Amino acid sequence: MRQGRAWRRGIASCVGRGEAIAEAIASPLRRAHHPVADLRHHLGLLVRLVGAQVRSQLQYRVSFTMDFVSSFLMFGFEFGALAALFVRFETLGGWTLGEVAFMGGLTAVSFKTMDMLFSGFDPPAFGEHVRKGTFDAILLRPAPLTLQVLGSRFVLMRVGAIAEGVAVFALALWLVDVHWTAAKLAFLPLVVIGQLAFFAALFVIGSTVTFWTVDSIEAMNILTYGGHELNQYPAHIYPLGLRRFFTYVVPTLFLAYYPTLYLLDKPDPTGMPSWVRFVGPVIGLGAFAGAMAIWHIGIRHYRSTGT
Amino acid sequence: MTHHPSAAEAPRTGPVIERPPLAPLIDVRDLAKHFTMRRRPPVRAVDGVTFRVAPGELVGYLGPNGAGKSTTLKMLTGLLVPTSGHITVAGRIPWRERRAHVATIGAVFGQRTSLWWDLPVIESFDLLRYIYRIPAERYRANLDTFRDLLDLDAFLQTPVRSLSLGQRMRADFAAAMLHDPTVLFLDEPTIGLDVVAKERVRRFVRHLNAERGTTVLLTTHDLADVERLCHRVLIIDGGRLLYDGNLAELQRRFGGRRELVIDLAEDVTDIGGDGSANRLDDPRFAVPGADVIARDGPRITYAFDRDATTAADLIARVTQRLRVVDLALKEPDIETTVRRIYEERLLDGA
Ligand SMILES: Nc1ncnc2c1ncn2[C@@H]1O[C@H](COP(=O)(O)OP(=O)(O)OP(=O)(O)O)[C@@H](O)[C@H]1O
Ligand SMILES: [Mg+2]
Repeated sequence: MRQGRAWRRGIASCVGRGEAIAEAIASPLRRAHHPVADLRHHLGLLVRLVGAQVRSQLQYRVSFTMDFVSSFLMFGFEFGALAALFVRFETLGGWTLGEVAFMGGLTAVSFKTMDMLFSGFDPPAFGEHVRKGTFDAILLRPAPLTLQVLGSRFVLMRVGAIAEGVAVFALALWLVDVHWTAAKLAFLPLVVIGQLAFFAALFVIGSTVTFWTVDSIEAMNILTYGGHELNQYPAHIYPLGLRRFFTYVVPTLFLAYYPTLYLLDKPDPTGMPSWVRFVGPVIGLGAFAGAMAIWHIGIRHYRSTGT
Repeated sequence: MTHHPSAAEAPRTGPVIERPPLAPLIDVRDLAKHFTMRRRPPVRAVDGVTFRVAPGELVGYLGPNGAGKSTTLKMLTGLLVPTSGHITVAGRIPWRERRAHVATIGAVFGQRTSLWWDLPVIESFDLLRYIYRIPAERYRANLDTFRDLLDLDAFLQTPVRSLSLGQRMRADFAAAMLHDPTVLFLDEPTIGLDVVAKERVRRFVRHLNAERGTTVLLTTHDLADVERLCHRVLIIDGGRLLYDGNLAELQRRFGGRRELVIDLAEDVTDIGGDGSANRLDDPRFAVPGADVIARDGPRITYAFDRDATTAADLIARVTQRLRVVDLALKEPDIETTVRRIYEERLLDGA
């Protein structure tokens, strides 16, 4: 009997509210038909998500400043140690201090910028989301998933490391007499983007894997951070096996080493065809596209198995 | 909204005239979710569940641990894709039209938060306002109402990670309702809350249902939630729906018998020849119209049917035979009823 009442109350409330309900149901759909407006809305969301995090992190101004200062000090020590090596040996595989710094700075700026922009896809942080089930919250909000993950974490502290990379690069420009051409100037930002995209791809793949298992995070980290470290020094000084691995399996050498040969007019002791100097950006963007495809497979898997 | 041919079908329970020719807001048919894991047989978490919920209903979804409640709710909210079967909520298939679907529902999973961990509560709300494109005046009106109903003011500026469980839950409730969803899915919304906080949450849910006509489906292990809120309950176990009807009917059909607990003047603990202690069929304590269901030292518990014997008669009979120093009458409560249904699988094959 009471059930009957509930039904009647249901009708009554529906008759009165019919229009409001129809509006509520229809409006998100209708809005979704304006792709440009949608895109603006989504980018606005990203800005807001990141902005909110930046604001909350800036509240801890002291620790933020400390971190910034300490990463600059680290830069001082690391660069000092490297310079000391060069005082002793003068060149590293035929490269001067300035040339090594050129590639190191470029690599650091690309990687650390990626590390900041893609904080949300940092595999351990993302894996924690999945493990704790908070990834569900993202699925419960009417906004694109990738964008929400990007906005879910933003480690502002990384600007210290980015500034460090910029400083190394600036120092390199002062030490090395680069023969700039219009083509080289145009290529330089592509090198940064290519490298950024490639390591972002590794982050995204590492995060996706946590949908299946969190045990593999370490293996993924070795590739990501190992590849990044190796991209700071002229690759021909590495043993052949290592070089092959990072050429054919995880092709990070195309992202910094070969482009730098072009930018600084250095000879190629590895004997690769000369066009490989230009493929870095393509490889980076291709890897990113592939990673996004894998990411969507991962989401599909998650939604069919849960955690 | 799509039209449902199913809406015209005869309802499964209840008198036919009572059902309006209205498309159900939630329509679940033969829903199943099987989890397959390596080197283990598949878990049939949900195994062929069918029910409908009309707009404005407030329904309790009950079942023991592992029954499949959360799995059902995850499919209804679009988090999980069903293995087979059919779901529509407000005419949409949740997993296929995720964004449009989640824009019109609210969900609170008691075990976890949907707020941004590091941000103050009010900033989370503001982000949600943007995400759901809530008109400014609706947002302000809702926020004012919820601040009042859920007493949020004390912690609006606090980061979510520093909130107590009860505060976090209240913040999550407000967050789930800011965009005026037509349906609210609640998975154990009162878990871990103290008595006062539970009551506040219940009041809030009742308010939404009564004032705004929000349809609510909630799971809980606290039957007080159900008693205070729901007319209709669904009971699921082993992934199968065992009961769909009102609570009073459940109590009438399965509500246990009344109990009379007496304390005797002396301890009557005894050990039988076969080693069994405190036999229930000891003839010294037999009383017509009642059964001894427990014995513990001087304390004996009788069970009797309301229809067969009055409490006064039984007390008279017992006190005639035995030297009773104290007695208490226990009415069957819904808690016990449901526990019996789970434990004794009373609904199996029903
Ligand atoms: N992602 C998953 N993978 C494998 N098995 C799962 C998964 N999620 C749930 N299960 C299993 O499905 C069954 C139903 O789980 P579910 O969480 O729906 O139960 P529940 O009714 O919510 O229980 P509780 O009252 O304990 O919350 C359980 O046996 C559980 O172990
Ligand atoms: Mg559950």
